[in-house]
Amino acid sequence: MKLTMQSLFLKIFFWFWATAFATGIAVVITFILGPGGVPSRWHSSLIDTARSSGRIALAELERGGAPAASSYIESLERDSQLRACLFDVNGNPIAGKGCQTFADMRSRVATTRSPEFAVKYGLVRVAQILPGSGGRDYIFATELPAGPRAAFGMDRAAVLLRLAVALSVSGFICYLLTLYITGPILRLRQAAQQLAGGMLSTRAAASIERRGDELGALGRDFNTMAARIEELISRQRQLIFDISHELRSPLARLNVALDLAREGKAGDLPFNHMESDLVRLNEMIGRLLTIARLDTAAVPVEMTSVNLTDLVRQIVDDAGFEAQKRNVAVIMAAPEYCYARGNAELVHSAIENIVRNAIRYTEAATSVDVSLGPDDKSNVLLVIRDHGKGVPGNDLERIFQPFYRVAEARDRESGGIGLGLAIADRVIRIHGGTIRAENAHPPGLKISIKLPAAELTSAR
Amino acid sequence: MDRVLIIDDDIELCQLLAARMSGEGFEIDAVHDGPRGLERALSREHSLVVLDLMLPGMGGLDVLRRVREQSPIPVLILTARGEDIDRILGLEIGADDYLPKPFNPRELIARIRAILRRSVRLAAGTHPLIVGDLRLDPASREARLQGQLISITSVEFALLEMLMQHAGRIVTREELTEVVLGRKLGPFDRVIDVHVSNIRKKLGTSQGVERIKAIRGSGYLFVLRAEPK
Repeated sequence: MKLTMQSLFLKIFFWFWATAFATGIAVVITFILGPGGVPSRWHSSLIDTARSSGRIALAELERGGAPAASSYIESLERDSQLRACLFDVNGNPIAGKGCQTFADMRSRVATTRSPEFAVKYGLVRVAQILPGSGGRDYIFATELPAGPRAAFGMDRAAVLLRLAVALSVSGFICYLLTLYITGPILRLRQAAQQLAGGMLSTRAAASIERRGDELGALGRDFNTMAARIEELISRQRQLIFDISHELRSPLARLNVALDLAREGKAGDLPFNHMESDLVRLNEMIGRLLTIARLDTAAVPVEMTSVNLTDLVRQIVDDAGFEAQKRNVAVIMAAPEYCYARGNAELVHSAIENIVRNAIRYTEAATSVDVSLGPDDKSNVLLVIRDHGKGVPGNDLERIFQPFYRVAEARDRESGGIGLGLAIADRVIRIHGGTIRAENAHPPGLKISIKLPAAELTSAR
Repeated sequence: MDRVLIIDDDIELCQLLAARMSGEGFEIDAVHDGPRGLERALSREHSLVVLDLMLPGMGGLDVLRRVREQSPIPVLILTARGEDIDRILGLEIGADDYLPKPFNPRELIARIRAILRRSVRLAAGTHPLIVGDLRLDPASREARLQGQLISITSVEFALLEMLMQHAGRIVTREELTEVVLGRKLGPFDRVIDVHVSNIRKKLGTSQGVERIKAIRGSGYLFVLRAEPK
């Protein structure tokens, strides 16, 4: 699974996560800033808690004086993060640290004589008057963390740790949720790619089909579509196959009948024409069959390491006779041996079709240039260029379609069949290569073929 | 006059072929289905069988397999172009040569003549060929390996004869095709290779070494042992 910032997975994941995180932050902020940060029903219990601590401090004071009270308050602070101060009734601190921070509250308590309660920045402060045993009153003030601070504690490392835990837990849940949503989409996409790649039997997984939601419906629709496409295409291919086979029988009979008729009249012109047309018809049917076979790809093609240099040289040599008739030179440039992975017979027919095509369309007394060499580490590049009129720009893609013709009249006379390039295109594609046509300057058609290179096997 | 059996379900084609080939000195016997074809092929009345692989009922390959179980009669198979697998299978089962359909009748006649000529020539030779533990007798068309008779088709016999005559030297695939099949080697023509592989299977190895060695890019060689047993 390739993840980019554009991918639905990351988008959904980060949006969910950000939402969860933002919600958490918002809760914490309202807790800290809100005036009712600590609900009022907590007040009395907090005051009670403070009072009981105060009573102990007071008892310590009466038992062992100020040092005893101080040590109790210190232990209180150490154990429960509760800061406290003990004042006498006049406001002089007796025990505790940082007592001046309570000055405001202490003076208010001294005047109102009722417990004071304040919340600020997540800290709760309580101050109240406690009666001592000798009839003297003391003021006991405490400060303790409340709300988020009480939950997280005051320690920075602990806060970070808790933050990290919260982030990873929410992240994990968001991850699962996102996976639940995007997983089927990704699997559906893979299925669609396989279908487009020619594996017509591909269907969406049963787990997607079973889903009751919209994705399940999409999966079922996808499968219906795939089944329909498969049926249509296989029917069409079967039709081509049947037609090609059925055309062969009368052709076989015609061949024999013609030969029977021309017995003893060899060299008769009309018979020669009939015979060459029969050969042409047969060739065309053969090529249609080849196309149908390559399109079905029902039979896996046997691939070996092919010496492309020898193969191309053979084609160039064989084409020499045809080229001579048009006073065309076929020039081959292959500085080193190239090997490609493929089926020699198919690659041979593909390249032969292109070379013959080039010889047919190049102007008389020009050349057809064939160059072969490594393209990059994993590909070999074969370029076949003629010096003909080229092809109108917007037709460049269409020349690989069956029966495409650039110039109707000229083709007939030069014997074009219109299937050679279509076959070449399919052959190169089933080999995992690419074929491209472009117009060259000076005018001419340039066809570039890239084929996956093979490791050098044995010497020849 | 050579009698040729044609097994093909295309009745009209058979009639036309019979008319065409009678002018060439052949007598044609046509059968249009597999079981009857098999029966006729085993009747010993014909010098050669032309067999279409696309037959209704019993397929051509089955007919060929059954014929080969009992008879070394030369068989030429007709295949639809593009069905390479059938072609190779047919040759592996023991067909002598193949011709894609539709064919030029002149080509068919030439192939039939080449195969028949070979059979006649084989019968004419008299001197047995002996290389190592293998003995070929052209007069009786018998091949014996360590004294044991091995079943071998006429095309395999001709191929082995050619290789043994030149034992220790390379015979090119072109030469083999021309002498054994009576035609030029075509591009991607694997007929000779299939026949060689069939012979190898029948001969087995000699002390762990193949008797017929493939020379990549050129041809085949019948291995001469330095010290024959």
